[in-house]
Amino acid sequence: MTNDSTTTTDQPSTETQSGTSQTDGGTSDPDGEPIVETDVSASLESSARTGTGRTIIESRHLDVFYGDEQALQDVSMEIPEHRVTAIIGPSGCGKSTFLRCINRMNDLVDVARVEGELLLEGKNVYDDDVDPVALRRRIGMVFQHPNPFPKSIYDNVAYGLEIQDMDVDTDAVVEESLKRAALWDEVEDRLDESALDLSGGQQQRLCIARAIAVDPDVILMDEPASALDPIATSQIEDLIEELAEDYTVVIVTHNMQQAARISDVTAVFLTGGELVEFDETDKIFENPEHQRVEDYITGKFG
Amino acid sequence: MPREGYQEQLEQVREDVLYMSEVVLERLRMGLDALEAKDEDLAWEVIEGDHEVNELYLDLEQDCIDLLALQQPVAGDLRFVAASFKIITDLERIGDLATNLGDYTKDAEHDVFPDVDVQEIGDLTIDMIEDAMDAYAEGDVEACYAIADRDDEVDAMCERASEIVVRDLIEREGVGTEEEVQQTMQDVYRLLLTIRDLERVGDHAVNIAARTLYMVENDDDLLY
Repeated sequence: MTNDSTTTTDQPSTETQSGTSQTDGGTSDPDGEPIVETDVSASLESSARTGTGRTIIESRHLDVFYGDEQALQDVSMEIPEHRVTAIIGPSGCGKSTFLRCINRMNDLVDVARVEGELLLEGKNVYDDDVDPVALRRRIGMVFQHPNPFPKSIYDNVAYGLEIQDMDVDTDAVVEESLKRAALWDEVEDRLDESALDLSGGQQQRLCIARAIAVDPDVILMDEPASALDPIATSQIEDLIEELAEDYTVVIVTHNMQQAARISDVTAVFLTGGELVEFDETDKIFENPEHQRVEDYITGKFG
Repeated sequence: MPREGYQEQLEQVREDVLYMSEVVLERLRMGLDALEAKDEDLAWEVIEGDHEVNELYLDLEQDCIDLLALQQPVAGDLRFVAASFKIITDLERIGDLATNLGDYTKDAEHDVFPDVDVQEIGDLTIDMIEDAMDAYAEGDVEACYAIADRDDEVDAMCERASEIVVRDLIEREGVGTEEEVQQTMQDVYRLLLTIRDLERVGDHAVNIAARTLYMVENDDDLLY
């Protein structure tokens, strides 16, 4: 059963990917753009269980500094497509920083400096020719506190479509997005009402609907349920699992049981901005490789 | 260390499992002694003492369930609780087998097969349980494998013992009175059950070793 898991365990760790490069083992689309590295699926072998087996996001030797303070240290990891990746770790370990690197939210922080590479389907999102706004259409984000616009429910979902000037049937996309966010049944009769009149859990699902309306590839979630009651939390958790069928979900959470419940793979960051272990979630919670990870998840330090 | 109460609860389970194993081993020794000495009083003591084992078992089961529900142990802690939860079932079964020995003692009148050394097999299985519980207490992986190996020895001894009985029956000359036949049947039946029960004690020792190996190394090598 788990006997062979040890052999795969080491592969997603930070060291083993350092040797990979864009050219070796990569396949190319007709434009010569690398789509995906063939050795990627090997890094999380059992990902064949769910997901596509492809890597959609890869960080390579990622360092982030806030002024003189180093927030991330040489983080290399490969995030599998159409699976839920959880990022856990104590406060200040850099997990939110990592999440914000993926869609360049750290651009908004003046003192932040990013070194290394962050690849979305093989393309470094920090290349000069990448438009951060376009990038964020492909990589949506949901925050800890629901942040709907002070507009109607309908307009909140339609907002991204209008901003991006997308040529779609807006009514249909709004309905579909609200359905996918498991909110439609609760709001279909009052789409014109203010989004601010919704409950916290409904507002968060509205934010998820807003994020998926523009049909992103990836949805980043930063503590999406930590401000919600248990029932609303369960709804968000169920939703995350469903979303992973169509999207790649990366979620930062302080709630380790939540990470255990809903994620397929888990990355454990520890103090100093270091990625210590990255593996299938059941492996992390049943038999982590590193004593520091074991001590953290069993609550022996912190 | 944070979560002190939780750490204490884990430690308490470990101590209680070890205590339960001492009680069970004591019952097993008493059962074997009763059988050897045909001591009916001792046999009754084993039989009547089984409820104590059952209560220890149920209490520990509840403690493990509480830990899972309230503390959500993970990693090494989770494997410890899961292994303990399984090991107490093995201990409870060994307790039942000890009461079986008590039962057989009550009806035993005489030794029909002096060549069959039940005590020797019993001693070996007791050693195995003791070693398995030491392995659990110490997290000793090497010992787990050694216990699994020794079970082959117990199995072979049990097979030889059963063979002696059956062969003797086949080769036995002349048929006694109906009463003698009945008595021999009872004795043979009882002896074969005793051998089978002790063989099972050895199997439970292997189970405990297997769960311990899983607990320590997340290795299911000895589980089957």
